[in-house]
Amino acid sequence: MPGLSRRALGIIGFSLIWLFLIVFILYPLTRIFYDAVSNEAGTLTLANFVEFFNDDFYMRSLWKSLVLGVAAVITTSIIGIAVAFLIIRYDFPGREMFSYLTMLPIILPPLVGVLGFVYILGRAGTVNILLMDWFGLEHPVNFMYGLQGVLLVETVHLFPLMTLSILDSLSKIDPSLEEAAQVTGAKGWRRFWTITLPLTTPGYISGALLVFIWTFADFITPLVLGVQDLLAPQAYLNIMQFVDRRLFRMGIVISALLVVLAIVFVVAARQYVAVKDYSSLSYSRVERRQLGPFQRWLAVALLMLLMAICIIPQVGVVLAAVGRGWSLTPFPIHYTWEFFSQVSIQTPRFIINSFLYSGLALIFCLLIGVPMAWIMARTRAPGRQAMDALTTLILAIPGTAIGIAYIRAFNVPLPFTDTALTSMWIILPLVLAVRRLPYTVRGSFSSLLVVHPSMEEAAANVGATKLRTFKDITVPLVWKGILVGGLFSFIMSIQEASATIFLTLGGWEMIPFGIFTFYIAGSQSQAAALGVILIVVCAISLYIVNRVAGTRVGGLFG
Amino acid sequence: MISRLKTLAITVLGALCFAAAAPAQQVENELVLITPVAKTLTDPTLADFAAYAKERWNITVKTSALAAGTPVAYGRILEWKGRPEADIFWGGESALFDKLAEQKLLARLDLPAAVMDAIPATIGKPKPIYLKDPKGFWTGTVLEPYGLVYHPKLLQRLGVPVPKDWDDLLHPKLKGNVAQCAPSRSSSSHATYEVILQRDGDEKGWKWLRQLGANTGIFTARSRDVPSVVARGEFAAGFAVPSYMAFEDKLAGFDLKFVAPKTAWITPEPIAILAGAKNPKAARAFIEYMLSERGQRVAMERGVFPITPKFRVQGAPGSRAEMAVEFTGGMRSYFDLEVVNIYDDDKAQKRYEQVNEQFRKEIESVWAQLKK
Repeated sequence: MPGLSRRALGIIGFSLIWLFLIVFILYPLTRIFYDAVSNEAGTLTLANFVEFFNDDFYMRSLWKSLVLGVAAVITTSIIGIAVAFLIIRYDFPGREMFSYLTMLPIILPPLVGVLGFVYILGRAGTVNILLMDWFGLEHPVNFMYGLQGVLLVETVHLFPLMTLSILDSLSKIDPSLEEAAQVTGAKGWRRFWTITLPLTTPGYISGALLVFIWTFADFITPLVLGVQDLLAPQAYLNIMQFVDRRLFRMGIVISALLVVLAIVFVVAARQYVAVKDYSSLSYSRVERRQLGPFQRWLAVALLMLLMAICIIPQVGVVLAAVGRGWSLTPFPIHYTWEFFSQVSIQTPRFIINSFLYSGLALIFCLLIGVPMAWIMARTRAPGRQAMDALTTLILAIPGTAIGIAYIRAFNVPLPFTDTALTSMWIILPLVLAVRRLPYTVRGSFSSLLVVHPSMEEAAANVGATKLRTFKDITVPLVWKGILVGGLFSFIMSIQEASATIFLTLGGWEMIPFGIFTFYIAGSQSQAAALGVILIVVCAISLYIVNRVAGTRVGGLFG
Repeated sequence: MISRLKTLAITVLGALCFAAAAPAQQVENELVLITPVAKTLTDPTLADFAAYAKERWNITVKTSALAAGTPVAYGRILEWKGRPEADIFWGGESALFDKLAEQKLLARLDLPAAVMDAIPATIGKPKPIYLKDPKGFWTGTVLEPYGLVYHPKLLQRLGVPVPKDWDDLLHPKLKGNVAQCAPSRSSSSHATYEVILQRDGDEKGWKWLRQLGANTGIFTARSRDVPSVVARGEFAAGFAVPSYMAFEDKLAGFDLKFVAPKTAWITPEPIAILAGAKNPKAARAFIEYMLSERGQRVAMERGVFPITPKFRVQGAPGSRAEMAVEFTGGMRSYFDLEVVNIYDDDKAQKRYEQVNEQFRKEIESVWAQLKK
């Protein structure tokens, strides 16, 4: 009875995936919610939330977080949409190069980006020192310390998410719709407003949601810039000081609240998108228009300006990594390679651990994510909607909350042993895999959708076995999507710090954790050197993604 | 025949080696610290301890330090619930060590009497600072003050004299140039807040702290960030502890100076073995090493002071020890002078949360208004 056994196998696989999702996502989250609605004695209470909503400072933090999130959506929209349209609709010199370069800001590891900005735009940064030394400015201009600085960092970091999401939708628009508009007399801006823009709504919403939640949940950038009256920094700060147990509990409450709010935003966005999804599933060939000579160079000039701003953090970090004792001069005076040598040759464990754990995370992502995508795209298995919702949810949950949830949930001895999961290094690749699973799922899912089942059926009709069909038809058609999704999971894993920071033990340090330890130990130069290494690793990976997938990376975030 | 002889010889040799090694097996081959103390202090001491263990017992000890601010370290130890991932907790405030001991999360030190007797019970007047735990759960390792760091070149630019006491931070020209960490986020910052409150009394103390808030340009996430931002010249001055990294910036080539006001609190950088530690023997050996002349000498080259009157910070001209003396303003041992201490740790610990709450109300949530 091979049919039955295959069916049994399918059920086992399906159950295993659900087991993984329940144990590593739902259970820890339940734990954090339990902590949020209980007190130190363990009795259930809503007092924590009452305290939160009656506290002016927390309410102000909530309000400011919302404002910042919306502001970031606006700024990234303006830049992201402009870049997306230029790249996909028009031809100009260096178009291909810009389509890669405008993706690069996304690989700014946490802490590195904001530090880089501070080196150049801080109170003692290059720009202010030049202004003071050459133009007699008395007090430094405050570019960075405040909400404006946070907004700047988030905008530069996150606009590529918007660009990629829009690019994805734009490439899926059926050109005949726009042609029809053209024929019926809707030209130029009118066509843009009435046809093109509405067609990109789903992509735009998913991009906007991601930017909003990312900004909302980022605690590192505001903290470096001294902005503490935001929700995410409050959660982090309260949890990281364990002495005052009441503050600690409030940190957990805020984390739980961040999760709740993220869920609310995701659900709202999904409702909205569901009503407005007009996109066809397939990618269409897009006709590019030639720009006039003047406009052509204007486009290049604008993109160059944008790139110049985007490169600020990298320049700052590189200078800090090779400069010794850089302070109050526009550029370092003494240069050295010692920091690079310290963090790579003398202590290679950051780099080794990073590749090991992110590599393992990638394997987990493929093992879990590809079958998940297949179930969602090809089967009518019950619970596949829930799987889909869960994937989006993971994208929205702040890393801090996951880290805390893991520490609260897995610090008990595993069944039949006396070791807790939190004292086994495998927890790092696991948490990374969970955090970055959605990219693999989305990447595989979207390419599976594009491959019509009829192709597989056709192969089966001419006598190919299931395995042969999979090998000869499905895999060649979808490997790109899986590769892109997987590589993206890898890139995002290797940069992850917000969840791992709570779970890392001695000897397990990955590069981002190393950056943190060096930074908090005051060795900013070593932190910068590690940051440069990480940026290079990610840039290479992203280059591969770009070569393989072109502009279609945006579908990963949907 | 020859090969059989060889086998025999190897077996006998092996047995002999084993027999010889067995009684010398004094420590485990691993040691993990959890500590707020900076890498500049933990790395060299751990490396030298490993060398010492190799010499003494011919054992290669794999050492590592889990860097964590005091509150984080304390929190993780609590979360470990007696199944610790580290063997030793080193650094911070002794009150936290007492709290851990109460919760049975520390193991008794049981060090030789001669080692412990070399450390005086207390230092400072009118309030004594305990240098070791009468109950024997922790001992001090080195002495260092919670003082001020400043950027001499930036102060010169601003036209502000070099600070000597806390009050110098209130200089009007330092407006927006002071960096500090909230007392609710850092135990060292908390201790310094208490020093001010206990020096001036509550009412005047909070007024002083509000004025400091008005001069503050940034509240950093951790106390260690203060020397970082000052070293870069982003801000001009702030509270700091030398081995929590202030001296590290100096070593990294930054132009940074430290001063301990007369009333600065001094921490003995307590050390303790965690209950349930996997490597208790190595942990005990490390603490004994830290208190030996060899360990103290290594520490003294990193900007901290000996815990016993037996030693003084001294080195060849230009050595790290002499750099440290220059960095901390010329002092060589706390036992050379009359230590003034007005900080009452019991009082501070009893109202720990209350001070945090008041800070939130009077400074953190109205900071924008204070700055005007």
